[in-house]
Amino acid sequence: MSELERALVLLARDLDVPEAPDLAPVVLAQLEPRKPHRRERGRWIVAVAVVVLAALAATLAMPDARAALLRLLSIGGERIELVDELPEVPVQDDLEFALGERVTLEEARGRSTFALRELEEPPDRVYLGGRGMVWFLYGTPERPRLLVAQSFLLPPTEELLVKKLVSPVTRVERVDVDGSPGIFLSGKAHFVLLLDRYGEIVEESARLARDVLIWESGGVGYRLEGDLELEEALRLARSLRKIGIR
Amino acid sequence: MLAERARRGDERAFEELVRMYQGIAFRTAYLLTGSAEDAEDAAQTGFVKAWRALPRFRPGLPFRPWLLRIVANEAHNRRRSAGRAYALRVRATVTEPSGDAAPSPEGAALGREQRESLVAAVQRLDERDRDVLTCRYLLELSEEETATVLDLRRGTVKSRTARALARLRMEVEL
Repeated sequence: MSELERALVLLARDLDVPEAPDLAPVVLAQLEPRKPHRRERGRWIVAVAVVVLAALAATLAMPDARAALLRLLSIGGERIELVDELPEVPVQDDLEFALGERVTLEEARGRSTFALRELEEPPDRVYLGGRGMVWFLYGTPERPRLLVAQSFLLPPTEELLVKKLVSPVTRVERVDVDGSPGIFLSGKAHFVLLLDRYGEIVEESARLARDVLIWESGGVGYRLEGDLELEEALRLARSLRKIGIR
Repeated sequence: MLAERARRGDERAFEELVRMYQGIAFRTAYLLTGSAEDAEDAAQTGFVKAWRALPRFRPGLPFRPWLLRIVANEAHNRRRSAGRAYALRVRATVTEPSGDAAPSPEGAALGREQRESLVAAVQRLDERDRDVLTCRYLLELSEEETATVLDLRRGTVKSRTARALARLRMEVEL
């Protein structure tokens, strides 16, 4: 340990840290009885979701009810789960914060570990998020027109999931993006949650997403978000090109 | 094991965990926010969220870093929403090292000037550098624990620590 490191350890002992309050009474007063075991809850949710979806399919003529009936889909390192009720999590409205470190397009190209794909129109802002995610923002953080995200697919050992929770009234459609499998989520807003290896929500990444097209290609996961019709989203997705091979 | 009992819904076991870890939880939150009020809120909410998350806690993993990560998340959320300047203070009653005393690792103490300049330099670091030094040295967590608490890879903790120490070294004479 260097002299500086020792000095920091010594400094900790000299810091004016207030005595910890007794938190137990307040914490215990807020504990809710444990919910039923996950497996039991899971069965209940599936049952409810299927009933709701069946009803919706019958009454609203959902265009792809069969796809929506797939409760759990995995694509592009993302897990999409249909739930009957969205969880109560603080939603991160501040895109500037949610997307990560703001960088220039050149920096993003240089720091990314894979060849980025870009639209003809250069993005208004570029961010480097967690786990190597690169974000292109079109518009402003307050009024985004379009978000394009790309990242290497998480290896299985990473044990970290990007999870989208969609309510039964979110439309889930399987699509094909130039031969790569994809999913288009539209309708009611859905949550994007990042779960760590403990299955715990990394809360600051929870944010409300809009219509989104997700697909994977060549080991990279892609995402397009915005107020997009499916056809427009597919057109944009197909026009993404790797740098230098336009 | 207490965490396993609490995971199965035993509130008395969880109460014991709260009493056992409330000190380090509060200290962690305080050193990350620089505010006693925010630290109390963050630690309290952290425990309540830990209770809710316990069914997903993997048996066999250490409980302390898992809990501290939840508390640290809460502390970060409060620090960002409060938007106030981060400020730590040295205790007013710290005993000055005697000029005659032979220095030893255990008995070593920093002079007032060194302490003040070190605190000021730590406070000037950017948030990510400061957080990693806080965990490693002010809380004396291991690299592995720091990685869990800050949700980073162990290699990132190592490199960020080296970078933060280098930046600090440029500002203080030690």
